[in-house]
Amino acid sequence: MRFAALALTAFVLGGCAAQPIYNWGGYESMLYAGYKDPTKMEEMKLGLERHIEAMDKSGQKIAPGLLAELGTLYLQSGSSEKAMAMYARERDAWPESRGLMTAMITNLERRAQAQSEVKK
Amino acid sequence: MKSILTAMVFLLLGGCVVQPVKYDMSAFQAAAPRSILVVPTVNKSLDVDAPNYVLSTMPVPLAEKGYYVFPVNTTKYVLEQEGMYEANRIHLQPTETLAKLFGADAVLYVTINRWDAQYAFIAATVTVDFDYRMVSKDGTEIWKEHKTMQYSPQNNNSGSPLAMLITAAINAALTRAAPNYMPLTQQANHQVFVLGQNALPDGPYRPKKAP
Repeated sequence: MRFAALALTAFVLGGCAAQPIYNWGGYESMLYAGYKDPTKMEEMKLGLERHIEAMDKSGQKIAPGLLAELGTLYLQSGSSEKAMAMYARERDAWPESRGLMTAMITNLERRAQAQSEVKK
Repeated sequence: MKSILTAMVFLLLGGCVVQPVKYDMSAFQAAAPRSILVVPTVNKSLDVDAPNYVLSTMPVPLAEKGYYVFPVNTTKYVLEQEGMYEANRIHLQPTETLAKLFGADAVLYVTINRWDAQYAFIAATVTVDFDYRMVSKDGTEIWKEHKTMQYSPQNNNSGSPLAMLITAAINAALTRAAPNYMPLTQQANHQVFVLGQNALPDGPYRPKKAP
């Protein structure tokens, strides 16, 4: 009886739920963990790096926002070069993100320029 | 158990989703957004962590519905850089301004009304309650929904009253230790975005169903 119910549940759910479009690589649970405990954001950074690398290797499209989220984690840990590279990839992958990503990159370039002028 | 099976058979026969009342989606269809900006969640519950937790559950179901969803943590970061830390204040901003700042077609505002666990004697009930509201970049409200989800652990009636009492006490203790808000929140989102009578139409990235 229990098995029948389970099989039926799977069938009902399977019939209703559409096929997923993307592989998220644990994004949602990593973000949840990071909000619960901010020290876990470092793990999210590594997790996203691994996921993106794997997706690149298999030539799959990366889910919307993931490249930019990794970029922001880079930015928050002080690597603005790496952040810009991720923002550029998000911009090229998703035309809807162009405005925001261009603004982020321009802002970071300006900041880098200002810093190098201070050094001179 | 039998009744659950019967109910499921009915669900199967009746098709996946029962749709008694269809809301007017013409404003949504006219706006036809491709991208959705999810701004930080307003919190009316007493749990200070709830807004971020809820925020983390939004991108996956919306993107799987076929929309470009702006990265929520990046969005939060950008808003903070602009001096906007308070979700209440962000929700009061004109949508036109927010949409323009990010280049978004529509903005989704989520408010948490309830996020709590209540204990009565040895029974526990976990409740989440959300308001969802989507506004297009020109300031028109194009979609709106409300959802309450509740969970009470099933106390299986397996024999003696004492056994039942113990089961109930253990279930309540487990719920108290770790109320399962996240699955409830995910279910609420799924009901609202995908299954409900007021579900979102498919976005541009959702592959068209074979006829």
